[in-house]
Amino acid sequence: MPISKFAAGLRNVISKISGAPIIDETLLNQSIRELQRTLIQADVNVKLVLEMTKRIRERVKSEKPPKGLSQKEHFIKIVYDELVSLVGEGHTPDIKPQKILLVGTYGHGKTSTTAKLAKFFSKRGLKTAMITTDTWRPAAYEQLKQLGDKINIPSFGMPEERDPISILKKGLDTFKGFDVIIVDSAGRDSINKELIDEINKIAQVLKPDETYLVIGADMGQTASKQAKQFNDAVGLTGVIITKMDSSAKGGGALSACAEAKVPIVFIGTGEKIDDFEIYNAERYISRLLGYGDLSSLLSKVREIVEEEELSPEEMLKGEFTLKTFYKQLEATRKMGPLSKVLEQLGLSMKISDEDIEKSEEKLRIYKVIIDSMTEEERKNPDIIKKSRIERIAKGSGRKEEEVRELLKQFNLAKKMFSKMKKGKRPPSNLSSLMKRFR
Amino acid sequence: MFEFLKDKIKDITKKITKQTSAKLSVKTKIKEKVAKEFTISEEEIDRFMWDLEISLLESDVARDTAEAICEEIKTRLMKTKFKRGENIEKTIQNIFKDTLLNILSSPKHIDIVDVVSKTKPCVIMFLGPNGAGKTTTIAKIAHLLMNKNFSVILAASDTFRAASIEQLEEHAKRLSIKLVKHSYGADPAAVAFDAIKSAKARGIDCVLIDTAGRQETNKNLIEELRKVARVAEPTLKIYVDEALAGNVLVERVKQFDEAVGIDGIILTKMDVDVKGGGAISITKETGKPILYIGVGQEYDDIEPFEPEVIVSRILG
Repeated sequence: MPISKFAAGLRNVISKISGAPIIDETLLNQSIRELQRTLIQADVNVKLVLEMTKRIRERVKSEKPPKGLSQKEHFIKIVYDELVSLVGEGHTPDIKPQKILLVGTYGHGKTSTTAKLAKFFSKRGLKTAMITTDTWRPAAYEQLKQLGDKINIPSFGMPEERDPISILKKGLDTFKGFDVIIVDSAGRDSINKELIDEINKIAQVLKPDETYLVIGADMGQTASKQAKQFNDAVGLTGVIITKMDSSAKGGGALSACAEAKVPIVFIGTGEKIDDFEIYNAERYISRLLGYGDLSSLLSKVREIVEEEELSPEEMLKGEFTLKTFYKQLEATRKMGPLSKVLEQLGLSMKISDEDIEKSEEKLRIYKVIIDSMTEEERKNPDIIKKSRIERIAKGSGRKEEEVRELLKQFNLAKKMFSKMKKGKRPPSNLSSLMKRFR
Repeated sequence: MFEFLKDKIKDITKKITKQTSAKLSVKTKIKEKVAKEFTISEEEIDRFMWDLEISLLESDVARDTAEAICEEIKTRLMKTKFKRGENIEKTIQNIFKDTLLNILSSPKHIDIVDVVSKTKPCVIMFLGPNGAGKTTTIAKIAHLLMNKNFSVILAASDTFRAASIEQLEEHAKRLSIKLVKHSYGADPAAVAFDAIKSAKARGIDCVLIDTAGRQETNKNLIEELRKVARVAEPTLKIYVDEALAGNVLVERVKQFDEAVGIDGIILTKMDVDVKGGGAISITKETGKPILYIGVGQEYDDIEPFEPEVIVSRILG
């Protein structure tokens, strides 16, 4: 489906969500409906779509957008979060010796994926081999062999043998001492007991580290059922989507992941062996939603969320240790000038720029000192006595007096914050506290 | 096939029947006078239509078709004058039946066997995406034609995918039919040309051309298919795709039709665990008739697509 037409309704309705603090109910309903349409059209399991959009609706209604995010951006972010919770943020392949079993029905590209995966590991310096246990499809062995020859990776198969287990055993013997072994199992048009039994036996002999379900991007509502059947039989560890170069959106894979509770690991993007990518949530979800500019929005969200994590409110929570103090100093540096921080704490007061500048310099020094402390010392500053002070001073390149001063400031701050935590106004002698920073 | 949808439609039909019957008895009580006939309102129908739409979508019926089916059933239901004493369930079932028949039927239906008997040699080119089951389908069609006493020759024009030639060769061997092949990487159009030449020379009735599966988005490969079509001038161009595919099915048919042209469709992998919705929407959305459905891995596992049979399967 051309990108211009696909999800046009969704983009259209999202663009109408205004920056108003409370999202318009009618608009929210429309947006949810269009989101459902888009996801269903992308072949995501219908039940899953209904469940997920219900959650999204609740979250949009109950959660306040973080500062700096518009209602619209917040909506998209929640949608993205919910989707990512099903398919994973992104895959980091383990580049180490392992045995991989590929399962799936016919025509989704198991054999091509076997070769692509083999090349992936071989390129990263691992001695890799492929075994096909497909005794069903005519010329299955020839296909793998031709691919293997092309990429210079050994393959094993026995075209005349009918028992997949004896092929597997001989193959494993042949490839003793190899780092990575990838097994291409037989498919069927549909899953039946015979196939499940066969895969089960293969898994018992192979004891794979990873078992990936190979699923075409074009697969419809059957995807979740297939994932369930394979998962029940052998326990999947990931999903590989193939044919992502077609106009299909790959929503079936999302249903499969949700069903088996495993992430997407790789994506096949074409017929050539190098048309193979490590899964990346942003790219996949942008495509699923027909939302091309998702990536810039998400980086904006990430920046904002990072700041948000270090908000003054956050600082007041929890126990006040040197770690908190440190975090606070870190945050202070990120939040900008001290005056702004004080303002955010609701403590706007007149302090001369010079004072502030000096204070900021102090903060920088304190940070350096805390950097030189052990984890234990940060958690429990009371243990810091003479010898520790000496060591910390040496380690940070500051004077011992400065370390002592920091500890004093910390104790003062601790008192102040414990008061603020109890809901009291900050002490009126805050300006005297500020002066101590000088 | 269609088990899921069948159960759902049965359930929805029952619910509408129950509600309609209930309405009948309520009216009788309140008005005391016996109403002879009545209709049901839009609001009363709507609550069932959402269920129906979801069930259709869950069966892989394309969204537009799902909406069209619901719309038609709703309109028909609203127009119906239910009479006391009649079998309400039957009336509702008939509305479903007529609607589905309407959706499934195509004025452009083609009988392959009939076409083969009228043209010699009849050249049939098979095309479609990767992994849809083209090669297996060609073997099935060859088998079917041989059973009708036609002679067949295969053209291995998929010179791209690894082992595709061996796969077709294996089928040719099992079916004892001739096959024309070149090497991998050879020009697929030349293979087709040679096969047709050979058919003419030997008086063979039908040439079946296997082409490489391709994604509709790949312009160069689609161009190659157009070249095969130009050179072979096939009597029929048959598109093969799998019933497992979701919403992309309709779009794919449209794109292949636009690029190369399609006379009919064979839908494969219509086996038990497939929801089968593609078979319902594809003709409505593209205007192209489904000729056969593939229902298994044996050569005999191919059935002509007859709307009446399909509808009776869906409605039970």
